[in-house]
Amino acid sequence: MKEKNVRNTSYEQRTHLLGRGVSALTLLLLVGAPFVIGAHLGAMPDLGAAGRGFLSVGLVWMVSSVVEFLVYTPMLGSGGSYLAFITGNLINMKIPCAVNARDLAGVKAGTKENEIVSTLSIAVSSLVTILVLALGVLLLQPLTPVLSSPVLRPAFDNVVPALFGAMAYKYYRADLRLAVWPLVLMSVLFVLLPSLQSQTSIMIMPSGALAILLAWLRWKKER
Amino acid sequence: MTILEKLSDGTMYLICGGIIAFVAVVCLVFAVRAWREGRAIGMDPGLMKKVIKSSAAFSVLPAVAILLGVIALSGALGIPWPWLRLSVIGALHYETQVAQGAAEQVGIALSGSEMTAGAFSTIALLMSVCILWGMVLNLFFNKKYTSRLAGKKTGGEKGSFGNRAMTAMFIGLVSAYIGSYIGGFVSGGARLDFSGDAVPLLTAAAAALAMAFFTWLSRKRGFSFLEEFSLALAMLVGMAAAIAFRALLPHGAEAVSGILRLVTEGRG
Repeated sequence: MKEKNVRNTSYEQRTHLLGRGVSALTLLLLVGAPFVIGAHLGAMPDLGAAGRGFLSVGLVWMVSSVVEFLVYTPMLGSGGSYLAFITGNLINMKIPCAVNARDLAGVKAGTKENEIVSTLSIAVSSLVTILVLALGVLLLQPLTPVLSSPVLRPAFDNVVPALFGAMAYKYYRADLRLAVWPLVLMSVLFVLLPSLQSQTSIMIMPSGALAILLAWLRWKKER
Repeated sequence: MTILEKLSDGTMYLICGGIIAFVAVVCLVFAVRAWREGRAIGMDPGLMKKVIKSSAAFSVLPAVAILLGVIALSGALGIPWPWLRLSVIGALHYETQVAQGAAEQVGIALSGSEMTAGAFSTIALLMSVCILWGMVLNLFFNKKYTSRLAGKKTGGEKGSFGNRAMTAMFIGLVSAYIGSYIGGFVSGGARLDFSGDAVPLLTAAAAALAMAFFTWLSRKRGFSFLEEFSLALAMLVGMAAAIAFRALLPHGAEAVSGILRLVTEGRG
């Protein structure tokens, strides 16, 4: 038992060390790249314009990033969240992929097994994305007419609704009584305040908070 | 040499491809560590292989959709930069919006014909800075946050709520999106005018039906192998249905809106 605890701690410690190291290095590479490219092109970024742009569009994404960090880190565990935030495409790919893997493996959130499954799932998902994109870029010229044909366009425009429709069946079926309230609240809000439709990612927080509150109230009642 | 040719030259591929290769190695290292640790704590290798296969199958379709994002942005930003952005840290729904906002700040439209070297490097910087906060938070707070959560889950009954909370959170997440599709249709043009786009809502419904069908096949009809592919297959059905809905929608939307208006006026 003691040996297992030492192993767990050691794995977790090394995950944090590795995660922090690669996150710092990736940050450096991503922020540095525009300057290296600027030097290559002979025109450095205009920091004033970038600052103004950040105030107009960046702040929304900053808030969204904080929400994503608070909500998704418990789902993904430490290794999974380091990887997911480095590789991106969380909502349309990594989160559903990791949750699907977790359900398939039958592991509980917050356990060591969940940490392993979620890390494996996100790493594989990221590698597949990198591979598909690399192949796509390689074949970009011949593939462009097919992939961007008007016939297929509605399919690719609706990847996210297709994903959430399938997930909705899975999760609503698991607890329909709980699902009714957040769905009704969100539908009413989006119907009465159409401007919210461009802020869906921010609305995840109140919707999730309501679902968790209701789940907690029921759990307290059942105890 | 035009600006778009410069943005897709060998040096650009080298810079962007190098960063992508680094991230691919990071993913491999995490995967190998997780696999070894799973074996060491006695997890079933067959189960871990199932997770890998399912995750790979699940990711192919969304990855193709992300590739379309690369194609869409390549007209204004060349190929290598959108390739990098959407392979590392970026998100399909984010990149176009921020690139557009950044282009406005440098006083151009987001198009290849108006792009300049200075505008590109500024847009590239803004695209990088706006979305890196999740990584920054992870860098400084992941350890503290996950340790605190791990501390809370210990203690028998309380641990079981952690799992319920995750399911509830996902119900909340799905509800936000489904609600937005309902709102997008009912109040897409103006409040309660039923003239918005119904395709996302119908696509979600088609995918949900397909998911129900595949779940039934895998659980009740003995096609258990379908379980790990059901989500990807349901998405595929939903996406195929979106093509049909888009083709039929002009008439469908008018019919639905017309019926709803008649009902509303009749009641009025």
